[in-house]
Amino acid sequence: MYSTKIVKAENSSAAVQAIGSSKEGKILAGGMTLIPTLKQRLANPDCLIDISSCGLEGVEDKGSSVRIGAMTKHAAVAESSSVAKAIPALADLAGGIGDRQVRNRGTLGGSVANNDPAACYPSAVMALDGTVHTNKRDISADDFFKGMFETALEEDEVIESVSFKKPEKACYMKFPNPASRYAMVGVFVAKFSDGVRVAVTGAGEEGVFRHSDLESALSSNFSEEAVSGVEVSSDGLMSDIHASADYRANLIGEMTKRAVSS
Amino acid sequence: MEIKESYDLPLPIETVWQALNDEGFLKNSIPGCEKLERISPNELSAEVKLKIGPMSTRFKGKVNLSDLNPPNGYTISGSGTGGIAGAASGSAKVFLSKMEDGEGTILSYQVKAEVKGKIAQLGSRLIHSTAKKLAKKFFSNFVQELSK
Repeated sequence: MYSTKIVKAENSSAAVQAIGSSKEGKILAGGMTLIPTLKQRLANPDCLIDISSCGLEGVEDKGSSVRIGAMTKHAAVAESSSVAKAIPALADLAGGIGDRQVRNRGTLGGSVANNDPAACYPSAVMALDGTVHTNKRDISADDFFKGMFETALEEDEVIESVSFKKPEKACYMKFPNPASRYAMVGVFVAKFSDGVRVAVTGAGEEGVFRHSDLESALSSNFSEEAVSGVEVSSDGLMSDIHASADYRANLIGEMTKRAVSS
Repeated sequence: MEIKESYDLPLPIETVWQALNDEGFLKNSIPGCEKLERISPNELSAEVKLKIGPMSTRFKGKVNLSDLNPPNGYTISGSGTGGIAGAASGSAKVFLSKMEDGEGTILSYQVKAEVKGKIAQLGSRLIHSTAKKLAKKFFSNFVQELSK
């Protein structure tokens, strides 16, 4: 690794200030993507801003939603009794990310801010009608994800926490890549009193997306048969050495069925 | 891997052809292009900053114009190295044709792209999506610049 400066911020406004005074500063959350990137020398920021001491950890039950601090580790979400009680599907999702090492370092905020097209968390934020709370504003999930690795976050913006609405029921099903455990296809289905939300990760060329056909089919009939009646198109899906776009389209239907019937 | 797309432009074919050969237009259209200088009639040197998620690499290289068939199209190709990150290259065949009304122009393109080295290792699952996105960005920037 090249030498770089590291600044420990005490709160999010100090972190934002540190970014402002650097040339190409980067926020360091859990570092599960950023550190390997630096080791490979594929990025060369002049300054890393460590936000682990900004007090952004913890789970809070807000009644109709659950609010989780941006620096909360995947393992902490997986083991949280309040998450398990309010949205067990979210605890399950967190418990299935990467491996034990990643779950003990990686954070909710880091995953959401990076918006990797195969990451698990963005699908939960999208399906659970989440809100991303930053130091400046609240951004709804539908406005937050802007395509592969892109979000609505501005340069001087730090995620402080994310809220997830409590569904009547929900389930996340992923077909993991056996090596990385990233989602080859992951489908998060959440049933609310006013309809069903279905978010797909790992498959779209532009990252996480909501599948409106599956949503409307499941909103009128929450069953496997309803899913069978939807033809999932492979348009705009990723094709790579792991799976073709057609295979991914098939997996979307299959994972949705499993999520609905579980 | 190939990407195809087409745009309808409300401009005469000669205007579009001129812009395709103007380094100012090209510089503003190539995503992340920081420098573009003509070194010979059909060759330009370029510096492009490519940012994909956590990766951020500066590529230095050349842009060549070939198969020139004014005003019906050409092939624009570029290749560059990003130091330790690896190398990237790509080319686009650009076709221009008159619309039926005789006033507008149809611009269509076919893109091929390739990356080598570490950036390919790490980003293999993303190359197609990224190439598609960059090509789209280039032509949408170009169309936007033209409409100014």
